[in-house]
Amino acid sequence: MKKFFVLLAALGLTFGLAQDVESLDPSGQTVMFWHQHSSERLAGLEAIIDDFNANNEWGITVEHEYQGGYGDIFQKMLPILGTSSTPNLVVGYQNQAATYAIADGMVDMTPFVDSPTWGLTAEEKADFFPGFYNADIFPSFDNQRFGFPPNRSMEVLYFNAEWINELYNAGAISFAGAPKTPEQFAEAACAATENPFSKAQGSRSLGYQLSTDASRFASWTFAFGGNVYDYDANEYSYDSPEAIEAMTFLQGLFDEGCADFVTERYGDQTDFGAGNLLFTVGSSSGLPFYKSAVDEGADFTWGVAAIPHTTDEPVQNIYGASVSIPTGHSAEANLATWLFIKHYTSVASQDTWARASNYFPVRQSVANEMGDYFAENIAYQTAFNLLPYGTTEPPVPGYDFVRDLIEGEMAAIMDGSDVEATLALANGEANLILDDQLSAMQ
Amino acid sequence: MQEPAQVLSPAPPPRPVRPRRRFKGEWLTGYLMVMPATVLIGLFGLFPIGYAIYMSVHRWRIRKGGFIGLDNYERVLGSWGGAAAFFGGLLLILVAHWLWTTAFRGHSDWRRWARLAGALTLLSAGISIALGWGAMTEAGEARFLSGLIRTTYYGFLSVPTQIILALIIASLLFQRLRGSEFFRMVYFLPYVTPAVAGAAVYGALFSPRDERPINQLLGWFGIPPQDWLFEPDPVLELIINGVLVRWANLTGGEPIEVALSGFWAGPSLALITIIIFGIWTYTGYNAVIFLAGLGNIPKDLYEAAEIDGAGQRQRFMHITVPLLSPVTFYLTVLGFIGTFQAFTHLYVMRVPATRDAVDTASVVIFDTFYKRNDFSLAASQSIVLFVIILILTLFNQRILGGRGQ
Repeated sequence: MKKFFVLLAALGLTFGLAQDVESLDPSGQTVMFWHQHSSERLAGLEAIIDDFNANNEWGITVEHEYQGGYGDIFQKMLPILGTSSTPNLVVGYQNQAATYAIADGMVDMTPFVDSPTWGLTAEEKADFFPGFYNADIFPSFDNQRFGFPPNRSMEVLYFNAEWINELYNAGAISFAGAPKTPEQFAEAACAATENPFSKAQGSRSLGYQLSTDASRFASWTFAFGGNVYDYDANEYSYDSPEAIEAMTFLQGLFDEGCADFVTERYGDQTDFGAGNLLFTVGSSSGLPFYKSAVDEGADFTWGVAAIPHTTDEPVQNIYGASVSIPTGHSAEANLATWLFIKHYTSVASQDTWARASNYFPVRQSVANEMGDYFAENIAYQTAFNLLPYGTTEPPVPGYDFVRDLIEGEMAAIMDGSDVEATLALANGEANLILDDQLSAMQ
Repeated sequence: MQEPAQVLSPAPPPRPVRPRRRFKGEWLTGYLMVMPATVLIGLFGLFPIGYAIYMSVHRWRIRKGGFIGLDNYERVLGSWGGAAAFFGGLLLILVAHWLWTTAFRGHSDWRRWARLAGALTLLSAGISIALGWGAMTEAGEARFLSGLIRTTYYGFLSVPTQIILALIIASLLFQRLRGSEFFRMVYFLPYVTPAVAGAAVYGALFSPRDERPINQLLGWFGIPPQDWLFEPDPVLELIINGVLVRWANLTGGEPIEVALSGFWAGPSLALITIIIFGIWTYTGYNAVIFLAGLGNIPKDLYEAAEIDGAGQRQRFMHITVPLLSPVTFYLTVLGFIGTFQAFTHLYVMRVPATRDAVDTASVVIFDTFYKRNDFSLAASQSIVLFVIILILTLFNQRILGGRGQ
């Protein structure tokens, strides 16, 4: 009997999914949204939701719940995948969506996005930054779309512009302004270690603080012209010549005493603000925090720039969580959820959201609305202008586990381990993890 | 006045209760009384264990797959022979203890032979554990087995230290010192401090930066600043190398650098820092429990001992310590279970720079579940840890429990 009901439910679900999207009626649906936003971002999100609830023509109601950080949400989702206990909409990184998809826990949004009735027009699609728009289409899952981007951030170089000027004027470095190549970066970092900033609030003086983070590994590898993932072979490439070159470069900075680890939470931000640190690399979403650190600290002129690169053009690491529709709900509810996503990523909502969250909007035309904001936030505009040079980290299941592995090996390299041997071993292990993950799909 | 004569009529004979019905009634009442607790324990205590066992024998990566029997256990333990030798060796320790202390207790002629047998059994246990562990680490889950070693360091370094410190603190507070209530509260405070908040403060205190408090303190004694939570090298290696550098400075020679590895190299400085945090958290709680135990020791025993000329130290060693054995047993069992399951502060305080130097078994299990998404492997790791905790509790029961009774 139980098996019969399970079969019946499965048939119902299949029927629901197979129903023609165009003929669905989303009227009166309630959409539950799980997210990680708090304080100012939450206020911005609530404004967007309130606007949708008040003005949508189908009487759809969006409810939202803060469910902790990305990790908390991921942990809450795993045990309930495929059941009706899942929310209608959930925030998650691409690799998390891939993990959900292994358990058939994700709805492919392609029919909604492409629907003549409910979807986006060709013009609207073209308005999205291509890199952002395509990041949630998963080649390893038959190009299904398991997410849609409402925002993105980018890894940028934060630099103390005044200190660089001092170094240049004192003849300690050979260039003015932000470093463009790794050689310039190393030159300035080492010079800063020897020549403290005039406004520094402490005796410590350092060129660069590195947080052992897989995204930082990826950013430096991108900047050296490589990638951490070989999309043709569908495997990690942490031991590529570019990755080896990037890590050797950073190891050299550590060996010469020009760089050190970030040893306290946001310690690099604090040291940067106090004028004790010339460079740090971090997410562009941290811009307001850097501003506060500088304003409350040594109060100097600072800026953001592309990660110093060996390539002709910068190659910037762009990341950010998307929103996904978990399975376990009716086709009407999924459509209602999509209609909210469409509203969330509309030009007007993106303008509100970018200002509230300090994330980048995902649509190019939003920039036209944000002139006043750009004028007030020059660093934000500088970073925004780097968006065309963006690339992303791999959207594969188990990436969190690989990240931990790479972070440990990155620390070992900075402590003096042989770069080539360490990365060869790490890459082998990363690919074993990937194989292990992908085997679950078969 | 004479009381009216009572008319004594023979009391009606007690209604015969058929023993069987009475027994049934008691039986039913008894079961009804324990039912709520049984249901709750069954639901929240036993069912998860059963479910974990069920998960561990299936291929289960986010979604349930087919039955795979004991494959996951073989993955974790490496080889059945090695595991049998290792766990058998652990049980042999118990046998050795029984032979040494209990067997042939009433037969003085046999006692010497029993002790000899006990010693030989202990030796066999050591060999069996070493060989078994060697075989396990060769083919087993390296991360989990290394995690078990770190868990062992964590438990065996923190629990005895907590107990000894707590006993000392409790004895001092029991002297009715002025303000002892205040100190009792102060010592208890770390236990009620949220682990995450406490760990964050510790992270700042033990920061590798030169200007942070602990490194400043070391500086006063001429010791160079340490990396603490960022130091993956064994503490023994750091000490030996520190001494060798000093020696080289004194003699003007080249310093030799020693690199230690393996079980006997001991825990990393990062793990020691976390152990210090564990000791700070639980010592106060243990002291409060010891205080309650001290209050239950009859005062006349101390008075009698004093009259017999026993000094303060003798009274402490021969009255306080033995009579606190039940409390010590309780705290030791709870301490070991707690340290073997410890997670939150370890997870909060670990940093990538130490790689896996502080990843105890429970941290590895968490990663296997949530990052590697291998639910069945994580479940089998949990069951192995559960069995080890069970054996450890048996040890405590055998060695300390006997004294406590």
